[in-house]
Amino acid sequence: MNESVFISTPDHVTLEFELAGPGSRFSAYVIDFIFNVVLIVALALLLYAGGVVFSLRSLFGAARGGSWSTSWTLALFLLLVFLINWGYYVLFEGLGKGSTPGKKRVGIRVIRQDGLPIGLREAALRNLVRAADMLPPPSYILGGLVMHFDPQGRRLGDMLAGTCVIVEKFAAGAQGATGAAWASRVEQGRSREALTLPRGAVSPAQLGLIERFLARRHELSKERRAQLAWQITEPLLTVLGEDRDAVARRPDRAERCEELLMEIIELAQTRKPMPAAAAAKPMPPPGLF
Amino acid sequence: MPSAEEKLAQWTGFQQRAEALLRAGPRALRRLRGHEITRLLDDYQALTADLARARSLGAARETVDQLNRIAVAGHNLLYGRIRRREAGTGAPVFGAFAAAVRRHAWAAALSALMFFGSALATFVAVQIEPALGYDLLADEFIDFDPATPENLHDIPSLARPVVSSMIISNNIQVTLLAFGFGLTAGIGTTVLLLFNGIHLGSVAGWMTLHGKERALWGWIMPHGATELLAICLAGAAGYLLASALVAPGRLRRATALKRIGGQALTIELGCMAMLVIAGLIEGFVSPSGIDYPSRIGVLLGSLALWAIYFFGAGRSRNENRAEPSGEKSNSGPTP
Repeated sequence: MNESVFISTPDHVTLEFELAGPGSRFSAYVIDFIFNVVLIVALALLLYAGGVVFSLRSLFGAARGGSWSTSWTLALFLLLVFLINWGYYVLFEGLGKGSTPGKKRVGIRVIRQDGLPIGLREAALRNLVRAADMLPPPSYILGGLVMHFDPQGRRLGDMLAGTCVIVEKFAAGAQGATGAAWASRVEQGRSREALTLPRGAVSPAQLGLIERFLARRHELSKERRAQLAWQITEPLLTVLGEDRDAVARRPDRAERCEELLMEIIELAQTRKPMPAAAAAKPMPPPGLF
Repeated sequence: MPSAEEKLAQWTGFQQRAEALLRAGPRALRRLRGHEITRLLDDYQALTADLARARSLGAARETVDQLNRIAVAGHNLLYGRIRRREAGTGAPVFGAFAAAVRRHAWAAALSALMFFGSALATFVAVQIEPALGYDLLADEFIDFDPATPENLHDIPSLARPVVSSMIISNNIQVTLLAFGFGLTAGIGTTVLLLFNGIHLGSVAGWMTLHGKERALWGWIMPHGATELLAICLAGAAGYLLASALVAPGRLRRATALKRIGGQALTIELGCMAMLVIAGLIEGFVSPSGIDYPSRIGVLLGSLALWAIYFFGAGRSRNENRAEPSGEKSNSGPTP
């Protein structure tokens, strides 16, 4: 299977989804299995606490303690257990936009192959044929093999329902501003333009590197962050008019480097657009449909 | 030209509005004013343009991911309603099950041949070679004596709801296997149908051989038509899936499967509804004290109702529609 699936929308936008691998899908399955068992046990305990006797023998005559309420409660219980077993996935995925509690925990979700969230129909199709994917039960060998050879990592049930399982990516706020700065610069036709300063230039590649570093620095370990800040800033110090040795000796070298890098980005963003480039990039026409 | 701050505000603003509207459901989208919709579409377009630029001009991976995520929310919001309606997953249609069965009559015929054919063959085989009964049957059937109080007709009334619910679960489980195993190119479905057919045939053959057939038929008749027909149609749903794998025509197999899925699901859901009816009869009517002619009456009545349903229902509707059917209202004989 591939890493990602690309979906082309009618307005020629390409959406990318990262496919969920067998590992995360199996972990979700294990969690859901446990949830399933817990649900059934909780239901049984509830009935037990309510005084229902779990004995089929008692139903063979009032003399053995049977009653109509016990009989109907037991009947309902058996139906509910069956419904939980087969309906757990159908209901959770169908009503929860493709996520079961297990999938939510692992961070994966079922989507239709056109990128839309699934409904009850797709959930029923992909889950009611689980028996085939599970062959020989309960190994999931057949489903696993099909997944392995399918480019979109679908098991048989997914093919039938026209769905695939993707990794849900959650918003990571830090890089938002850098991305917007980049987009704004590109739109003004300055994407590949170096930042020219009195003592030299910062190349577009360096600008990109700085933006990426600033966006991700909070995720790095303290040592790695300081090391990278120095490595990126060092070749630029002369351009900035700083004394290399003086900066190198400072106790707050890492902080100073990051300050300098932010200044560079600031300068790159506040530059006036080149008149020609700005004219060449018209605004998109308003109105889509 | 938007500055970096304006751009960011535009992105996050669109993301928040799109996600709020998605959460609020389809009605919220319909309540929007004209200028709000125009704004939403403009922002979506600007955003997807940014996404395309970010991809082709090589922005940072994080930027592409961020834009992609917002674009997905926008896409789901703007296209979700349109696609929903196309797929036609609206109200369940009463006749959809009958229409799907009629449309794929070959699958029903094949399934019936496997199931009733093997039952008939086994029945005849047991007549010719009675010793076969010992190989094919469990002791409870071999020792079955219609005169003892423990026989099938005598389920105590208190146990009937439980028996009924066990029968319903078990039968539905069998149809789900017959349906799902269709994905093994029909091999699993065939094995299941043959297995059940042989069992039915050997029991019937054995009872007939030993003169106990009246008790057996008396037991089977009230629910038999509904139950056996449902098992048979579940096999048909399985064969329908198999046909997409074995003979996909000019389509890719995955595409063929996707196309046939709706029809097969309709049949399978219809079978489940039939088995609920059959289970109620088997739990409450079959073990009751009604006499032999009434049992024949229930059999003929249910056969007639199913014939009317499968040959008549859903005729005026468009037979091409693939919709899951919540078919329940067929009034088979109830206790």
